[in-house]
Amino acid sequence: MTTDPTRDGTPVPLLQVDDLAIEFATPDGVVRAVDGLSYSVSAGRTLAIVGESGSGKSVSSLAVMGLLQQPPARIVRGSIRFGGTELLSLGQKAHRAVCGENIAMVFQDALAALNPVHTVGWQLTEALRARHGMSRRDATARAVELLDLVKVPNAKQRVKEYPHQFSGGMRQRVMIAMALSMDPEVLIADEPTTALDVTVQAQIMRLLSEIQAERQMGLILITHDMGVVANVADDVTVMYAGRAVEQASVFDIYAAPAHPYTRALLGSIPRLDQKGGGLAVIPGRPPDPTQVPAGCAFHPRCAFAEDVCRADPPPPTVSLPFDRTSACHFAEEVMNHDEH
Amino acid sequence: MGRYITRRVLQGFLTLFLVMFLLHLLTTLAIQLNGNPAQAFFGDRTPSPSQLAAVETRYGLDDPCYDQLGNPCIGPFVERLGDYAQGDFGESLRGRPVTDIVSTAAPNTLRLFVVVTITWLAIGMTLGGIAARRRGKASDHGIRGLSILIDALPIFVLLLVYKYIFSVPLSRWAKDTFGSDSLPALLFKPSFSPQHAWATLIVPGILLGLAGSAAFIRLVRAAQLETYNADHVRTARSKGLSERHVSRHHVVRNSAIPVVTAVGIVFTEALAGAVITEGMMNIYGMGGVLWKAVQDSDVSVVIGVVTLLAAVTVVVMLVVDVVYAALDPRIRYE
Repeated sequence: MTTDPTRDGTPVPLLQVDDLAIEFATPDGVVRAVDGLSYSVSAGRTLAIVGESGSGKSVSSLAVMGLLQQPPARIVRGSIRFGGTELLSLGQKAHRAVCGENIAMVFQDALAALNPVHTVGWQLTEALRARHGMSRRDATARAVELLDLVKVPNAKQRVKEYPHQFSGGMRQRVMIAMALSMDPEVLIADEPTTALDVTVQAQIMRLLSEIQAERQMGLILITHDMGVVANVADDVTVMYAGRAVEQASVFDIYAAPAHPYTRALLGSIPRLDQKGGGLAVIPGRPPDPTQVPAGCAFHPRCAFAEDVCRADPPPPTVSLPFDRTSACHFAEEVMNHDEH
Repeated sequence: MGRYITRRVLQGFLTLFLVMFLLHLLTTLAIQLNGNPAQAFFGDRTPSPSQLAAVETRYGLDDPCYDQLGNPCIGPFVERLGDYAQGDFGESLRGRPVTDIVSTAAPNTLRLFVVVTITWLAIGMTLGGIAARRRGKASDHGIRGLSILIDALPIFVLLLVYKYIFSVPLSRWAKDTFGSDSLPALLFKPSFSPQHAWATLIVPGILLGLAGSAAFIRLVRAAQLETYNADHVRTARSKGLSERHVSRHHVVRNSAIPVVTAVGIVFTEALAGAVITEGMMNIYGMGGVLWKAVQDSDVSVVIGVVTLLAAVTVVVMLVVDVVYAALDPRIRYE
């Protein structure tokens, strides 16, 4: 597996997802949860995937990890490559073997994601013992190291404890330590700070970006918090109704969003530097996945929508300057639209 | 953990005491309504008043409260508790100490229960596990159908069919092939033999266990299905562990908690089944002893045996609670 960083200036992508489409068979018909998603992560870079719940951001990362339940899920087309290996053609067993070892995942809600009946130390090193045949004693030492790494105080004692004896923030640290146990090159963090209070959220995010910088990992951060994105991400993929509606560097996307949805998302962040009354909200709700509107899926909620948006779906990627894309008929207009 | 167990033991004693007291009230009421069981000692003969008085004294039935309907007879109850505390459990009407009867009968019933419990767990875990793993497929439907079929066959039907259709030809064949004292011949023997208590108990025990296994199959299936979809199982899979490892250490391990709890609950039901099984297979066990004692109005035996059964149940519940705590760390410190 390649970890080649920048030899000629351009980073080699570690993980590359291309034109991924995933469907779910439901009693109400087939639902397209992800449609034509592409992204890539390189060593040392952070990609934020942003979107509302149901936008397909978690489903796509489960597909990367080989954790989709098939059926009901079905990968219709696309490719997921890790360091040149096509994961989708590997078969479930080999696919999962890559995961954990090379790609690891931090799940949201650590209380549910940790097994309540095994000690934290046991779970931290489970993969090392089961897959690498590490001895029990070495594993305990390694578990203590891992807890130290994520700054859980008193690690020696705490490896013997169970998840329910940890606070929410400490549990999430355990989740992170567990994902790091096999020294992965890519880490997927699926809303790692939901259900935590704000100060703890900040600590966890700082810890994640420190570890990422230190190990030069590729980090995929799945979130709906645009504030977090601004702090840690290098690149941003905004998803809406299963599609990547905008992809750009974090600087460009905050400076001039090129999709009305991104624009609306940014508009709904509370800001300290602006006095104002209520927060801006995006009118309407995300579409019912069984009944995605015709044309552009966002048009019923879009301030820029015109007749063409109701009739024709926008091109999946409108290329814009600075290597950014937007799936909008009026991408350039939106980008150049002056609001403030 | 120590405090948890202490509390459970104390609760167990309290339960046992309440069972004994309730039993005492019921037997007292039965004596007050039906007349003096000391009469039963004489069978058809009419005893002289002095003979009757002597027997009443011997069996502790001479207290005048037994003639007063509605009197709770606390005095004899306290007396009996004192006797029990000294290890004196009284005698049967035939003069055999209750402890002696129990020590002969109880091991057979306990052997039966061991076989029954193992059968429950083996059938329930295997079939329930397969059904959960292969949810919605033919094997799942087949196993669920089978569990309903098992429910529809009560234990006495199973035993009748086994005893009159299978047991005789099988044991005859085994005797001719392997010799009359060989293990196969004993296994299929149509009735219990005290010299080969284990061998002759296995098949009746398996049948009794089979009759109760339907609930286990469904319970294990439901518990494992729920665990298969749990977040922590997904986490385990994300570590790239084999499906076998995930299944053993996460799915089966976590779904064992409700299953163990169920063992404790279903155990009491098995007591009822044991009376039938013991009767049909001529097993000298607690069920048979109790059945006969009730018919004979043998108060000391009834009270002694029921007390022992209650004690066994309390102990089983206690063991289940302790195992439960060992399986699920979350409840240890509650």
